[in-house]
Amino acid sequence: MTQPFDMEEGRILAAEYALGLLDDAQARAFEEAMSTNPDLRDEYADWATAFSAVTDGIAPVVPPVSAKTAIDTVLFGKPRSLWQRIGVMPALLGAAAAALLLFAVVNLGLLAPAPGPTYTADIAAEDHSLVVTASFDDTSRTLRINRAAGAARDGRVLELWLIAGDNAPVSLGVLPDAATGDIIVPADLVAALDGGVLAISDEPLGGSPTGAPTGDVLAVGPITAL
Amino acid sequence: MTTPQDIEHLIARVALGERAAFDALYAATSAKLFGICLRVLGNRAEAEDALQEVYVKIWNKADRYQINGFSPMTWLITLSRNHAIDRLRARRDRGAGMDEAAEIPDAAPGPEDLAIASDEAGRVAACMKELPPDRAEAVRRAYLEGETYQELADRYAQPLNTIRTWLRRSLLKLRECLST
Repeated sequence: MTQPFDMEEGRILAAEYALGLLDDAQARAFEEAMSTNPDLRDEYADWATAFSAVTDGIAPVVPPVSAKTAIDTVLFGKPRSLWQRIGVMPALLGAAAAALLLFAVVNLGLLAPAPGPTYTADIAAEDHSLVVTASFDDTSRTLRINRAAGAARDGRVLELWLIAGDNAPVSLGVLPDAATGDIIVPADLVAALDGGVLAISDEPLGGSPTGAPTGDVLAVGPITAL
Repeated sequence: MTTPQDIEHLIARVALGERAAFDALYAATSAKLFGICLRVLGNRAEAEDALQEVYVKIWNKADRYQINGFSPMTWLITLSRNHAIDRLRARRDRGAGMDEAAEIPDAAPGPEDLAIASDEAGRVAACMKELPPDRAEAVRRAYLEGETYQELADRYAQPLNTIRTWLRRSLLKLRECLST
């Protein structure tokens, strides 16, 4: 099938290719011929158009909602897969210990209760290559970010995500270049902080182009109410 | 009503990684593509799996759409049909059990396959009618059932080369009819 063929043969081959009647070797040979011959490409496009019209008589059927959920999970990931990807249990246990300590400190009166942050989270990589603390101030709806360890890779940024329950992660924005900075939390997301989880992913400049984490999830931490 | 231009625009935005565009494209096209998967595979669970794989492909290949010269719906339909046929053939190669075979719809030419729903479909249907019925049926079987030359030869109890020759001749006639 490597020898050149005339246009009539090309037309038939294009139709056979579109129908899937060629064997593998013939199909590869035809693809190769198409890659250098625009007429053959057009011929194939014409056949694909003609044959696709056969499907006009097939009744559309609305797929179940679960189909779209499954597609989104494959393409964009879900909270569950995020948790599995970073092995969240050690982080959760660490945070629980920290919360307990905080609870003890507050209740023993070692720390004067004062207006201030209402939520806090330690967002840390398992190996502590990235450690960020975030504390939320209710009055200004501000997350005060303090990056204690780690940084974005060259040409990349760190993006902060809020995960509430089984919901997909919602971006809170790209972390500032400086080690400390503020991120304003949109009013409609404040309620989701309670019992939520913060995560940081590695993203291209400007942040995730998809609205969902696209790079590695580097660090995660549960949000604790104070 | 979503126009071909709308679909084309959505595919272009999907190519840029816009998730909202992907959701809109899914909303506009998934019923059509699921109908095709269901028709080819004749099995709801498998059609759902196929549909999922098709949309993953659409997401991953959207950036290559512009260069293939297809209209947007032809591209989506061809991608779905080819994927469903690949699955159907894989199932046949494994040897489907009788239970599964019972779910494959009756392959006799149904009125749905001849229904006229667009100019292009009308033109194609008219040209298919000009072919001898058994040859039009063989073309349709190849497209919607994924039957190979060997399977067609078995079905029509003809030598492989005879089937190939008459089907190729029919395709050429179809081509002449379509280009007039």
